[in-house]
Amino acid sequence: MLRTLLLILLLGRLLISEEIIVIGDKNFPKETLTIQEIRAVFLDKKRFFIGEKKVLVMNYKFHHPLRNCFEKNILKKSQRSLERYWAKAYYQGKQPPKIIKSIPMLLGYIENVHPSIGYSDVNATFGKEIKILYKGECL
Amino acid sequence: MLYKKALLCTLLISSVTASDPTSYGWNIPNTPLNIGGYIDATYESKREDEFMFNDIALLFSAHKNHFDLLGEVEISDLTLDGKSNGSRDIEIILERLQVSYALENEQILTVGRFNSSVGYWNQAPINILQDTTTKPNIVKNIFPKATTGVMYQKGIGDEDSLTLALQYNRDIGSHDESIVVDRHMAIAYYGVSSDELSWRLSAGSYREFRGDNTRYLGVGTQYDSDEFALQGEFFIQKHDHGLSIPYSGYLQSVWHFTDKHDSVLRLERYKDEFLDVSEIIFLLGYVYRPWERFALKGEYIYHSKLPLNRFVYSFSVMF
Repeated sequence: MLRTLLLILLLGRLLISEEIIVIGDKNFPKETLTIQEIRAVFLDKKRFFIGEKKVLVMNYKFHHPLRNCFEKNILKKSQRSLERYWAKAYYQGKQPPKIIKSIPMLLGYIENVHPSIGYSDVNATFGKEIKILYKGECL
Repeated sequence: MLYKKALLCTLLISSVTASDPTSYGWNIPNTPLNIGGYIDATYESKREDEFMFNDIALLFSAHKNHFDLLGEVEISDLTLDGKSNGSRDIEIILERLQVSYALENEQILTVGRFNSSVGYWNQAPINILQDTTTKPNIVKNIFPKATTGVMYQKGIGDEDSLTLALQYNRDIGSHDESIVVDRHMAIAYYGVSSDELSWRLSAGSYREFRGDNTRYLGVGTQYDSDEFALQGEFFIQKHDHGLSIPYSGYLQSVWHFTDKHDSVLRLERYKDEFLDVSEIIFLLGYVYRPWERFALKGEYIYHSKLPLNRFVYSFSVMF
């Protein structure tokens, strides 16, 4: 009985969880990023440069499901907490990521702008010239 | 004049109705320039001018490769009869004008007039970004709010940072109610212990414009979660000759009891030998934020010595 219950729970978890990947352009100089580095990049806490160029950081529109997943599971911040953060950050001269409408649009930027970074659903990136910097799960 | 009002209204409307709650201001097309601002107005029944626009401010910023520009100009204390700071001549005040250059290895060099990197409150000292309309005693009495000079910042580890600031010239900004100096040296360390918990150490010395030298030392900590926030700061100040502020500190708690409603409790204590006052201040407040960029606040402040017990109300918006 317990074994069946565990199996059902495991199957349920597999069905609802979705993999999210943080991706960079193919020439991105790092092979992986830690979760702390990702937070620092997406919250503009640190300036990341490749040579003289600042990294283009991209995010999705407000109600995009991937953005909700990213904010909850990678940034580990609630919507309100992020809103509070960006209000102060704007006053301090920081810049939120560029807003992108869709995954194809983001992949278009990643393929053409160097250096650039964003995140995507893993299934959408097959065959694309990108570098996977971090793998996470939408829970 | 009509053009300026139209621009302000456009910025306000477009920002308040912005689809993304993290974006502020208006990006001028084909330029790296962003323009935004904030407004705050207060009502105090005990004040001569009961209703007043404390700040009508414009923020502008630009980012280009390693360079960042940040500016803040404002009209302050504008009353309904059209006077600003008691005068009919509307004066535009320079709050900040700074250019930063990002060096290698997480180092940033800033020149211009910038908010002194001392304590928590001074990093976001405007109404919309705080949970109370009134400010604690430390904000205007312990250290200079702004520094005109150079600042060096070094990132350490994931989120810690060390900041050094130096001023050896006159202040290029407004001589408002804050301490006006022509010498200022400050060192500050910002440490992050966890996602919710951080702390700050600050120390410095300054010379008031053609005046005495003063030293200060402060510690602060902040716990910030989705449901609750606690912030405390404690400073001491010592003049080379004469009277000092032996202590000034506050502890403020904010309870985010729903998404849009917060309650605030602040306990403050200070001793000021200049004013020969040692007192306790209690504050009880309420904040309503229909959006993060818009706040309505009401608070009651109780002073144990000075005759400043009062209700204060405000509305503020950032666009």
